[in-house]
Amino acid sequence: MSSSFETIIESIISDAPSGEVQDVVKDLTTIAGDQAEEAIIEAMTHYNVKNLIPIEVKGKPVIISEYNKKGSKFFDPVRSILFSVDHLNRTGVDVEDCDQKHTTEQRGLYEELDKYMSKNFTGNVAYAVYAKDDPDEVAIFIASTRYSPGNFWNGHWRSSYTYNMNSQALKGTVDIDVHYFEDGNVSFKFSKDVEHNAASSAVVSIKNLENEVENEMSASFSNLNEKEFKLLRRRLPVTRSKINWGKGIGTYRLGKDSAENQLK
Amino acid sequence: MSPYEAALDLLRRLDPTKVEQNLNQLIKLDPDLAEDLLASVDTPLKVKKDPNASQKEFLCCDYNRDIDSHRSPWSNNYVPALSAQELEESPFPSDAIRAVEVLANDSFDIYRDLYYEGGVSSVYLWDLGDDADADGAPNDFAGVVLLKKGENSRSSWDAIHVFEVLQEGSTQSQVSYRITTTIILHLNSEKKMTLAGNLTRQTERSFALPGHLSPEQSGIWHVSNLGSVIEEVESQMRNQLEVVYFEKTKDIYRELRDSSQEATTQNRSVHEEVVKGLQGM
Repeated sequence: MSSSFETIIESIISDAPSGEVQDVVKDLTTIAGDQAEEAIIEAMTHYNVKNLIPIEVKGKPVIISEYNKKGSKFFDPVRSILFSVDHLNRTGVDVEDCDQKHTTEQRGLYEELDKYMSKNFTGNVAYAVYAKDDPDEVAIFIASTRYSPGNFWNGHWRSSYTYNMNSQALKGTVDIDVHYFEDGNVSFKFSKDVEHNAASSAVVSIKNLENEVENEMSASFSNLNEKEFKLLRRRLPVTRSKINWGKGIGTYRLGKDSAENQLK
Repeated sequence: MSPYEAALDLLRRLDPTKVEQNLNQLIKLDPDLAEDLLASVDTPLKVKKDPNASQKEFLCCDYNRDIDSHRSPWSNNYVPALSAQELEESPFPSDAIRAVEVLANDSFDIYRDLYYEGGVSSVYLWDLGDDADADGAPNDFAGVVLLKKGENSRSSWDAIHVFEVLQEGSTQSQVSYRITTTIILHLNSEKKMTLAGNLTRQTERSFALPGHLSPEQSGIWHVSNLGSVIEEVESQMRNQLEVVYFEKTKDIYRELRDSSQEATTQNRSVHEEVVKGLQGM
């Protein structure tokens, strides 16, 4: 297989909304045939890790990332289990016990996240606290998804942070994707880098930062409607009435020309 | 599902701001898809200048393309110019249809000015079946009305109306206009926010022929009918786009995160404390 073939598969899959990756894979298989299978699985592995996709493992979602990866497997420090991932179906397989578990501080953060998520998020949520190489640092991940293919839409919120428990510095990114595709294809994307340098409580700071993101998004919506959309096409002409089509349509131009001439 | 249907399904799911890139990649995966996909997938319209018409701008799509040139509606010439040999094979509308095309371009140019206050418009027509009546009035024909606003700016609007005009009824007393409209609307804020995509709808409208018309009257009649239907369709779609872009996406967002529930609870407890405080006074 040429490398350009694999690059195309990778690029197309990386572009898919998270609620429709399976449909995209089905379409790609129809177009490229079974020869695409290997490239598709490879691309799906990258996709799921990059987009913090929750994987269903024994009835609970586990976010997979580079920080809970062990060889080709992933672990869940909450339940101390190790599992392989069926990347096409987003499920954990070959689940076994392991000795990975949260420290007391990590456990505390995880429990605070639990409260924050249940009060502020309405989708299917998943969240995680994972150790990083630096023992002072943890990675915090949040995902909220809602897929409604029957109504032609789906949405995906994800945020990822690094929190230094020693310096109390919190830094992260929030990404919001909404896709609506009834009689068309409409995509809303918003991405924002956020930080708080004196986060004595990481979860309280996350909540404040994410509320700010929500407010900013709301303001951006109004701005796009008022400043961008309205300038593209008027609801009605300046005359406030529909056009009188036909032989006489040229009078609009005559009217305009004479108005312009009067200004000269 | 055929590869072509699968490709259309894919393009409905992938990022609409990258439709050209994704289209090219799909064609690389299966070159047999090229012709069908290029003819049926709407992409943002390109603008060219017509050197034969004072550099007036016109819009380019697959319907006015031949080789790598596009026919200008203003001068009826291909830009860049094709060789005499190439032109022998190039498509041009019949004289009768070209007369209607000239009128349609003139009328939609006024429409564009009134609704878009800027931008570019172009109308292209082509014959279906026999060229014209014995007396030179156009019979069945098809065409595309294109309108674009916001080239080289953060936000843009591309309207593409592809239509067929067909005589119907046993006495050919009805004319039906079948229009497929796609509007590509891209909005970008200075911040990292994109609201982009396209919506498509189909419209069919019939008009009773008002007796015998001269070729000139017939052209005016067709352009009036087309104009009023397209004006109505665009107005409806503008409303629909506003609803989908600004209300639907926000509704879906609230299915992901909604802090107002907590805020309401907090407000209530603040309110209760105020009431308690007042009662204690």
